[in-house]
Amino acid sequence: MKAVMKAQWMKEKRKPYLILLFIGLSILATIIFGDTSEFEEQTVPIFSNEANAEEIESKWSELLNEEDSSMKFVITDEEQARADVSEGRRNAAVQLMEDDYQLIVASDLPYVLQIEQLVQQVFTKEAWIQAATGGESVADARDEINQLMEDPPVQVETRTTSGDEFQDYNMGMQLLFGFSLFIVMFTIGFKVNGINNDKVNGIWDRLILSPVSKSGMYAGHLLYSFLVGIFQLTAVFLIFRYLMGYDFENMWMILTLAAVFTLSMVSVAMLIAGMTKTPEKFYMIYPSVIPIIPIISGVYMPPGTLTNPIITFIGDLFPLSHAVEAMMGVALFDYGWTDLTLPIALMLLIGVICMGIGINMVERGKN
Amino acid sequence: MLETVKLSKTFKNIKAVDEIDLYLNRGESVGLLGPNGAGKSTTISMISSLMKPTSGDVLLNGKSTIKDPSEIRKVLGVVPQEIALYEELSAYENLKFFGEVYSVDKKRLEERIQYTLEMVGLKERQKGLIKTFSGGMKRRVNIAAALLHEPEILILDEPTVGIDPQSRNHILETVKRLNEEQGTTVLYTSHYMEEVEQLCDRVYIVDHGKLVASGTINELLSILSSEDTIQIQLSQTTDSLIEKVSAIDHVLRVDETKEGIRVISKKGSNLLSQIVQIAESEDLQIVHFEVEVPSLEDVFLHLTGKTLRD
Ligand SMILES: Nc1ncnc2c1ncn2[C@@H]1O[C@H](COP(=O)(O)OP(=O)(O)O)[C@@H](O)[C@H]1O
Ligand SMILES: [Mg+2]
Repeated sequence: MKAVMKAQWMKEKRKPYLILLFIGLSILATIIFGDTSEFEEQTVPIFSNEANAEEIESKWSELLNEEDSSMKFVITDEEQARADVSEGRRNAAVQLMEDDYQLIVASDLPYVLQIEQLVQQVFTKEAWIQAATGGESVADARDEINQLMEDPPVQVETRTTSGDEFQDYNMGMQLLFGFSLFIVMFTIGFKVNGINNDKVNGIWDRLILSPVSKSGMYAGHLLYSFLVGIFQLTAVFLIFRYLMGYDFENMWMILTLAAVFTLSMVSVAMLIAGMTKTPEKFYMIYPSVIPIIPIISGVYMPPGTLTNPIITFIGDLFPLSHAVEAMMGVALFDYGWTDLTLPIALMLLIGVICMGIGINMVERGKN
Repeated sequence: MLETVKLSKTFKNIKAVDEIDLYLNRGESVGLLGPNGAGKSTTISMISSLMKPTSGDVLLNGKSTIKDPSEIRKVLGVVPQEIALYEELSAYENLKFFGEVYSVDKKRLEERIQYTLEMVGLKERQKGLIKTFSGGMKRRVNIAAALLHEPEILILDEPTVGIDPQSRNHILETVKRLNEEQGTTVLYTSHYMEEVEQLCDRVYIVDHGKLVASGTINELLSILSSEDTIQIQLSQTTDSLIEKVSAIDHVLRVDETKEGIRVISKKGSNLLSQIVQIAESEDLQIVHFEVEVPSLEDVFLHLTGKTLRD
């Protein structure tokens, strides 16, 4: 087994470009398609068309921006603000009045709910302060209340309808995981295809006649494919984490999921290798099947967008959807190990089944 | 030491190998001769345990190798017909890989690699990548890769097909040295008569999956000792000429060749005058007339009615 792995590595050493290219591609794709600044800090345009617009705008802008650092309220001119919303550049805009506001939205995204809650909170608080002080020493009262709110007697927590803690969903992060896992599928496949290569050019027969066992031959190729895959993912995730500042919360959990995914994907590639038999056919089939997987797994869309049960079922037959979901859980929703048991178990199950059928098909090609 | 018993292989409806019996004694060099598609590679695959026979058996020192091929694999070195090497690796790296696969001890392996490379005449080119090698050089490395673990029996499947004369000589020389100096038992497959005549003590001739003859080269040639082969070059060949020549007493067969006809007749039957008469009556000129010294090629022709390279 060691000799088989070493030979693959010797070939790789001479031509490492493919893996380097794929690592670069993962990062590039995430940068291009997953521009996350938009998702991490929301910008909300605000404007007023009252007579004393400027005064109103500066007053509320200050109060709103004080309240929550994850949202940035920016004074914009009305036309621009409306256009931003209707053309989808911003999730919502706020039209300000002396003591009231109106939300301008184009859709019902979860973000809108969040913006509305914040704005409402600020306006209500101001209304109370006004009422309590009768318009005098407003500033002092506000300070006092803010101090009180640091340690509030009653805490209100926002929850989604399903009961989960409400979280700003981070599409950029999903694309990061999606692209990285998508691209590593190619790396893994091309390595597993080494088995077909060996079979066709007669090296496999030579190995059969040698003291190396059959399982050693498979293990050599498959373990090598696994190591290359996990190397690529680790490199990509480390670059994202430490050079580009993405916060994955628990890096070890993410890497564990990456390892399980890689294992599972090696098996899927083995199955396709078993079905195609020759390296040429594999090169034809594999790259045309793989790009379909992230689409039917809903990786390119916010969760819940893909609702066709047949498509989601087929998507769930591949490890990708389970891995992305679990990784998002770790990165955003503080998933613990118990939350990961099911996706890990599913990926391993897919792995065992595909590997079993795949090796069987390769072996049956004989005689 | 190695023996096949009614070895047969049927693919769907083709009987690729049909009840072949052959044996190899220790230290012998044996040829397996036959045209393309005769079943040579299939026979070798079954002997080397890569393929299960449809029926029949392969015995090593009297023990069947079909159920438990571990013994035969230990003593066997197989040079496959197709080149089985990693193109992206150098000759040295390929040999190192196959040596490691055979668990050859590290220090010993280094010696063996240099020794086998020297033997096939590629010591100076060992750092070169296989994909930069000529067909002949690849074939030589292909052979070296089967020698690293010092096999007692070496099986070569058409190792000289389509290569330059220099590589061919290297290969023939290597096989001869292994057999004569190291006592390696050799089974050499080919469809070139000359090679087999040069290398082998005994020969098996196969055609359509069947054994058609076997024996030492002299024994095989003596099959023809009762016959003469006459090559006649003519200005033209006609059907009626062939018909008339065939009708002559003692003529066994007449075949049309590129330049005229080939006549096989009983030894010593003097045909010249009769053939000249027929040619004259047909208004044809005899350009050249020659009685051949028989070769294995003629033996094959005699047995199967066709030339090896058809
Ligand atoms: N795997 C196979 N499946 C079907 N037919 C085969 C297979 N291998 C060989 N044959 C057929 O068996 C016959 C003998 O082939 P082979 O042993 O390769 O001949 P040789 O090596 O003497 O040229 C040929 O007719 C060939 O087409
Ligand atoms: Mg052959």
